[in-house]
Amino acid sequence: MRISTIAFANLKRRKGKALFLTVGIAIGIGTVVAMLSLGASIQQEVGAQLDRFGANILIVPQSNNLALDYGGVSVPGVAFDVHQLHNDDIQRIREIPYHDRLAVIAPKVLSAADVEGQQAVLAGVDFKQELKLRRWWSITGRQPEHEDDVLIGYEAARAFSLIHSMEATGPQHAEHSGHQSHPNGPADTPFTITRNQVSINGQSHHVAGVIAPTGGPEDRMVFGSLVHVQQLVNKPGQLNVIEVSALCKGCPVSDIVAQISSKLPNAKVSAVQQAVKARTEMVDKLTRFSAVVGAVVLVIGALIIFTTMMGSVVERTKEIGVLRAIGFRRMHIMQGLFIEVAIVSALGGWLGWISGLLASWLALPYFSETSVRLEFHPALLLFAVCAALLIGILSCIYPALRASNLDPSEAVRSI
Amino acid sequence: MAFMSIENVYKTYNDQSGSAAVPVLRAVNVAITEGEFICLMGPSGSGKSTVLTIVGAMNRPTRGKVIVDDIDVYALSDEHRADFRREYIGFVFQQHHLLPYLNTLENVMLPLATAPMSSHEKKERAIRVLQRVGLSDKAARLPNQLSGGEQGRVAIARALVNDPPLILADEPTGTLDTKTGSEIMALFLELNALGQTIFMVTHNNENAALAHRVLNIRDGALDGEGQQPDGGILLTSGSTASFLSL
Repeated sequence: MRISTIAFANLKRRKGKALFLTVGIAIGIGTVVAMLSLGASIQQEVGAQLDRFGANILIVPQSNNLALDYGGVSVPGVAFDVHQLHNDDIQRIREIPYHDRLAVIAPKVLSAADVEGQQAVLAGVDFKQELKLRRWWSITGRQPEHEDDVLIGYEAARAFSLIHSMEATGPQHAEHSGHQSHPNGPADTPFTITRNQVSINGQSHHVAGVIAPTGGPEDRMVFGSLVHVQQLVNKPGQLNVIEVSALCKGCPVSDIVAQISSKLPNAKVSAVQQAVKARTEMVDKLTRFSAVVGAVVLVIGALIIFTTMMGSVVERTKEIGVLRAIGFRRMHIMQGLFIEVAIVSALGGWLGWISGLLASWLALPYFSETSVRLEFHPALLLFAVCAALLIGILSCIYPALRASNLDPSEAVRSI
Repeated sequence: MAFMSIENVYKTYNDQSGSAAVPVLRAVNVAITEGEFICLMGPSGSGKSTVLTIVGAMNRPTRGKVIVDDIDVYALSDEHRADFRREYIGFVFQQHHLLPYLNTLENVMLPLATAPMSSHEKKERAIRVLQRVGLSDKAARLPNQLSGGEQGRVAIARALVNDPPLILADEPTGTLDTKTGSEIMALFLELNALGQTIFMVTHNNENAALAHRVLNIRDGALDGEGQQPDGGILLTSGSTASFLSL
């Protein structure tokens, strides 16, 4: 016979109340667990989606630039000690410890070129990687397949008279490849390709497609395959920029930047702050929302425990009086109530963890467009049980104090 | 030398509005020697229950002292008074007040729940006491599976399990039929014969006739002592507050 024996026996006797309390705690904790699980999964999805919207790490050759101006007249920057990036650097990037987090590595060589007798920016790209990075590009035509295939930005194509705008004649798209539309860009401007050959630096190239207007610099650029452009502009193996898209769920971009920097000491590696900030803000908002909802639910759960335990103390006044009369200290009375609440809370926490995970598993398809998997964290079970215990014990402090302060002579007034 | 003495005890309660003090006990003096069996009698509202709760270290008197085994009970802290109750006093309540969700053995072991001894030892002591009251074969039964008399005996067993020097009983036969009541009283007499000190509140003259001494209380004051032919002494008068001790 210990105080815990009395607590267990009392819970067994008041099965209904114990069940009500357990379910109350389980609902509270379950809601919080569901919010956290859903939040984590949605954060993962948001992170993945934001990661898909372009590069978040930029690698350029290391150089020392001087910005010069004199008397209000800007002089183009002077660059010296320029270290070139090379094709080999791509492999080095793939060797960093966080290599599995690198979704896209898109190298580029940039050069001015003579296109149809006009100057334009020619970019040599790895089309497979580039199109993964620029998911919002909408290409009229097809994706490049051959060495001499090029993609041309909308403004450039208009300037070179390669397309005919269909705004006047209505939307009759021809040869529209299935690439994604930019979510914010001025897409859906109808046009048709009128000419599929273009001369670049005196060599004829095949226009595989024209990129619908995006409002970005690509509107005025011509894109060819990397190796072909490197040869065309006489920069064999050289790169001007490497864009990297890192899936940074669970890893800070700064770590990846540091790892790439150590692999490429002669390159300047920087995180694209805007993307990182947007992602962080979105995740922070979700986290705050989850925390507020969770806190409200836990407060409600605490009130349920409080009122139930207060009711229990009133109901057991005489019993507590008998215990006090036969020599139980105040501390023993409190101990008994805390043991009861701890048993119910721990059970409620455990059930809440299970029901929370189950609820979030059922609810996830309604919150997520993609097949994001539910995050199972063993720490969440520990959190659920500890949070339930904490809430239970905190809510029981006043009822326990009140019980322990009962005057034994008042409590057993019938004697 | 008195084992327990109530010295010039007064008790006043506030009325419901809290504005007026209602005197409940006035100049009560009692001395009890070890092994005595004393009955306190009086009409309803005379202050019997208040005397019992004050003797039981549960109700601080407005004035006066309760000394048990040279311990000034109300000089102790609240928690130490709880320890005192566990060590010195066994309560037998009128309604028995057994916990309905504990079986007979567990109810008897209840005062030992906070005692620093092994579970085995607690169980052995409880079984011994149950044997003493003749209920060892019903150790596993819940209170609602026992008769009124059996419940009374369990209540007595619970009061005895700590081996307290003093048993306080409140109308222990009040809810029982005559036959069962006689059995319970026989048990009290048996315990008393073995040296157990008993202080009992009762309305029952037949029960009172079994005690060594009978104290009568009226309007909060002891107004007379009925000494039994073989009994000890003592008691007091509220008006004179004279205190005699053997």
